[in-house]
Amino acid sequence: MMLSRIADSLFWIGRYMERADNTARILDVNYHMLLEQPPDTYKLRWDPLITVTGERARFYQKYDEALASSAFDFLGYSEDNPNSIAQCIIRARENARTIRDRISRELWEDINGLYHKINKLRDEGEDLARFCDAVKRGGHRFHGVCDATLPRDEGWHFLQAGCVLERAEMTARILDVHYHQLLEGSEILNEARSHAWMAVLKSVAAYEFYKRQYTQIEPEKVAELLLLDARHPRSVRFNLGILQNSLYAISGSVPGTYANEAERLTGRTHEQLTYDSIGEIFSGGLHNYLEELQVTCRTIGNQITETYLYYAVSA
Amino acid sequence: MSSASMSHSTHSGSQLLFSGYDPGAFYDEMVAPNGLPRPGSAPMYDMLANMPLEVFEERRKLADLSYLVQGITFTVYSDGRGTERLFPFDLVPRIIPRSEWDVIERGLAQRVTALNLYLQDIYGPQRILKDKIVPRNLVYSCKHFRREMVGLSVPRDIYVHIAGIDLVRDSRTGQYLVLEDNARSPSGISYVLENRLVMRRTFPQAFEVCEVMPVDHYPTELAQILRSLSPRSGDRPVIVLLTPGLYNSAYFEHCFLAQEMGIELVEGRDLVVVDDVVYMKTIHGLTRVDVIYRRVDDDFLDPLAFRADSLVGVPGLMNAYRAGNIAMANAVGTGVADDKAIYAYVPAFIKYYMGEDPILQNVDTYLCSDDKQLSYVLDNLKDLVVKAVGESGGYGMLMGPSSDKKTIEDFRERLKADPRNYIAQPVIPLSRCPSFDPSTENLSGRHVDLRPYCLYDGENVTIVPGGLTRVALQKGSLVVNSSQGGGSKDTWVLRGDE
Repeated sequence: MMLSRIADSLFWIGRYMERADNTARILDVNYHMLLEQPPDTYKLRWDPLITVTGERARFYQKYDEALASSAFDFLGYSEDNPNSIAQCIIRARENARTIRDRISRELWEDINGLYHKINKLRDEGEDLARFCDAVKRGGHRFHGVCDATLPRDEGWHFLQAGCVLERAEMTARILDVHYHQLLEGSEILNEARSHAWMAVLKSVAAYEFYKRQYTQIEPEKVAELLLLDARHPRSVRFNLGILQNSLYAISGSVPGTYANEAERLTGRTHEQLTYDSIGEIFSGGLHNYLEELQVTCRTIGNQITETYLYYAVSA
Repeated sequence: MSSASMSHSTHSGSQLLFSGYDPGAFYDEMVAPNGLPRPGSAPMYDMLANMPLEVFEERRKLADLSYLVQGITFTVYSDGRGTERLFPFDLVPRIIPRSEWDVIERGLAQRVTALNLYLQDIYGPQRILKDKIVPRNLVYSCKHFRREMVGLSVPRDIYVHIAGIDLVRDSRTGQYLVLEDNARSPSGISYVLENRLVMRRTFPQAFEVCEVMPVDHYPTELAQILRSLSPRSGDRPVIVLLTPGLYNSAYFEHCFLAQEMGIELVEGRDLVVVDDVVYMKTIHGLTRVDVIYRRVDDDFLDPLAFRADSLVGVPGLMNAYRAGNIAMANAVGTGVADDKAIYAYVPAFIKYYMGEDPILQNVDTYLCSDDKQLSYVLDNLKDLVVKAVGESGGYGMLMGPSSDKKTIEDFRERLKADPRNYIAQPVIPLSRCPSFDPSTENLSGRHVDLRPYCLYDGENVTIVPGGLTRVALQKGSLVVNSSQGGGSKDTWVLRGDE
């Protein structure tokens, strides 16, 4: 028996922790790429990043320009940005605190510790690289503690669902925004472009894996890996596969069937990613494909909420 | 106080915890007026008296760490971010000999029984009003009197399942007095259980020489009572603990008790009432709930019946309660028993309902609703404690002797404007207990009170031996509330007297 509110908290702990981690990754990789680039291309590199997080309007209300400093402030700590890393961690902790009688003490202490660490880094004025490093490490530790201390019950599957859904959507969004910007910025040197794609791969920890399979940095190949690869833990297909298993575990459905809209959409999208080829995707337009993926991810999230967490009760 | 220039190293090896200890003009719970330990306290006294300061400090740090790691903290929101503080714990236990406890236990059992009889009567035939033992207008004007409860029967006729009765020992007589009844949702039991756990880890040897009665059966006893209230037959009723949520200062306790009793911790938004039946929303649909241990005040329970702006309540809960489909502990409306003006009549109830003399006495109380008593109070404000009748936790209170003129004059106006809302009591010289003072690095007497937790199953009152001893850690202070620098101690009831 699991209360909907508790399942909801677990789902959002997963989402917020993953969001914090992804934001730190793209912030960090971008920063390092900037260090070796001519200064006139900076705009290419900070503006898309703000777009990836979906908070463009809010950002330009607060800052005139997308620079390393303003991006770090906004994505790292800002209280005006509900998706800043600090805000994500605060909310993950709040959710964990509400259900601390239902999670392992280790998990509570880990999330609580990360929260205190982030506060300390802010108070000490720590730089971007170290800050992002602490968040990424925090993310790894979070997955490790979950894996080693949580029972594989329904709660586990809600937590998993939150993590993988967030990760799938983030990967699609990172790819979409960079692809868009790299096509538009025709004045940009080929060399800069290639560095930007490398940065994308690094931000999702897929650079080494890519290099083992492909010799050149090519947009189609990067997209193929991040969308369709069955083995890399940050590809969209991989994550939707795990989501499907977790949803089945919650509802008791058997593979090949579905019990609700979230399962139907997850199953269908996973099948598409399994059988679509990257050539077909490009000829149909990558941007459209990615946009549809992101919409589907959001719909799946809403459907999970409606089915299990905030369903209507008729009197 | 020791001189500030004295370095720590000069203390080492020589400083003793009880050096210069003076029980003073107050009743001391551990040390008799002749300077020797009281009989049951001797083993613990000897252990502390011979303990080097360094060892004591080390154990103190160990104990504090244990609270921090477990997250037994309360939150202070003054800095906008929410800082978690420890509820200070003093390592010196308060020790109660068995024969003393037996009197307390009988006195509390009598009082809790009488409070229940009074509530049955007030929400039933109202004999006590007809016989003019308690003035009708005093009851009807109680902030917590619930008209909705009149004529409604509650499961097994129990209103107060859980009571926390605050006791103090008057230094002048050495007698325990009842200071306050808490018959709504008293908190603090989690500290009793955690304090014991920490003490057992910190001073295991002390438990070998002192025979201390256990307290950890409390959650089992409470769960048993809650189960017995279920309106449905069947041996596995669904019981939940209803909390106002994360931002309530007792949230830790709610988590703790739910976990200890193996019941679900729910918020108002987890519950829904359909056709006068209460359900909780689970991921696989609605599950019927039978019993609610509620830690939400009456006012916030049901926005349809009480405060419409309540976000923590459950719409329709009162209808389900009236229909007899859900049991609640404590019942709705018990605040009419722990109102501080009604308190003055409790000795009279005991006599009226039980034909017995009260075993535990009240503190003298002036009801400001009475003109003569009001004028006495107004003339003597600087010597009295004034309390708002419907408040708890040290809110709405005036400590006459330690207040400045302006505060006293402010209170005078408030009293005149709304006399029914106040009572006054003389200042009781509370007993003291040796407590560690970090500024002087030794033990000094600090004032204490005692809140035992009573469980009532309709026939018997069960009280875990001891309760929460709160201590005013600031020198000379008589206010034990945690918001005023109060801390707590483990309370040991001994199996015998020595």
